[in-house]
Amino acid sequence: MPSLKDIKTQINSVGSTKKITSAMKMVAASKLRRSQEKAEAARPYSSRLEEMLSSLASSAASGEGVIKLLTGTGNDQNYIVVPVSADRGLCGGFNSSINRETFKLVKSLEGNGKKVQLMPVGKKSRDFFNRVMKDQIIESFVDLNISSTGYESALNISNKLQELYFDGKFDKCILVFNKFKSAISQEVTQQQLIPLDVSNSEKEEEKENSSNAIYDYEPDEETILKDLLPKNVSIQIFKVLLESDAGEQGARMAAMDNATRNAGEMIDSLTLKYNRTRQAFITKELIEIISGAESI
Amino acid sequence: MATISFDLVSPENLVFNDEVGTVIVPGKDGDLGILPGHSKVMSSLRPGRVMVYSEDKNLIKSFFVSGGFVEINPEKCIVLAESVVEVNSLEKTSIEKEIQELENKEGKESEEQLSAAKAKLEAINVNYYDKI
Repeated sequence: MPSLKDIKTQINSVGSTKKITSAMKMVAASKLRRSQEKAEAARPYSSRLEEMLSSLASSAASGEGVIKLLTGTGNDQNYIVVPVSADRGLCGGFNSSINRETFKLVKSLEGNGKKVQLMPVGKKSRDFFNRVMKDQIIESFVDLNISSTGYESALNISNKLQELYFDGKFDKCILVFNKFKSAISQEVTQQQLIPLDVSNSEKEEEKENSSNAIYDYEPDEETILKDLLPKNVSIQIFKVLLESDAGEQGARMAAMDNATRNAGEMIDSLTLKYNRTRQAFITKELIEIISGAESI
Repeated sequence: MATISFDLVSPENLVFNDEVGTVIVPGKDGDLGILPGHSKVMSSLRPGRVMVYSEDKNLIKSFFVSGGFVEINPEKCIVLAESVVEVNSLEKTSIEKEIQELENKEGKESEEQLSAAKAKLEAINVNYYDKI
């Protein structure tokens, strides 16, 4: 049976863990608000860009040069998968669900005879894939710190991807990331980045054509499209990074909230145990005294 | 007099959003002056100044943009710019230094940065369009 002192130390240590987790929860909550604001602020730009793109998409007749970002290379043999995780742990299943999903995706693509390469973003996915499929990683991005560096870091990733794409290193690029649904729930999502998935923007196009008259283009549609497409790639990445950042803070908040609650419950049960032990101890002493007195 | 709604959007935030009298933007093929009731135009931008005027033609604000797009319809004008700085907050000496540094570098990327920096310097120096 543990001594009273042992239980006391245990209660203290759980108590300090509780303090840490509840502090982390507060920090995550305030960071979450900031990340959410950032994600919100980026929305007008990306939605406008998408609108413009969808109204222009029809003019992409030839599949040369930059337009390839829209029309594709005509092959689908080489894939590049970009898992977006956090740099830090202690956020519940946030990172492991990304890694698991990516792993599954890679295996299923390989099962279909495709060649897959990886470009992990964030320390947690880099470390994971360094262990399991080291030779398939071509580049990794860590310590992005998106909420302070902003658009620049998204630009770096996008430039690297486009460089590889135009070198013919891959035909399709898929992002795997945590979509921010609400402060407490994230959804692992796959998004095809290159070539641009026009299936949903086509719908928008119909909508637009019915409500809007046709624009004049200056210089001309194709030139604008050529400027627009690379920017769209960067902005999509930027959006995903922001969402994943907000999701990370949300996940951490939820995880830390749980941990704090668990610690509270544990302290309660330990305190109960402490009191019982103390009582048993006193009773034992009393019995000893009484039986000692009787024997005299 | 009529006004036109003007949005200046960067990837990070909405920089400017108000009803204004006139906007001048640096279109790729030449500057575009936008008044209320402008026909529908979509254009890409070169690095340069975006000037915003009130209804009585007084300059409200001028921004430097490093490129982007503009979408115009009779009621609304939207500029999507990659980086936006207010011209008043630019410092001449630091840009001149940046240009010098970039001139010593080679490669396509620094060339682009150089032309953007040069356009920035020009945006500070020139004063046409200050009064219209």
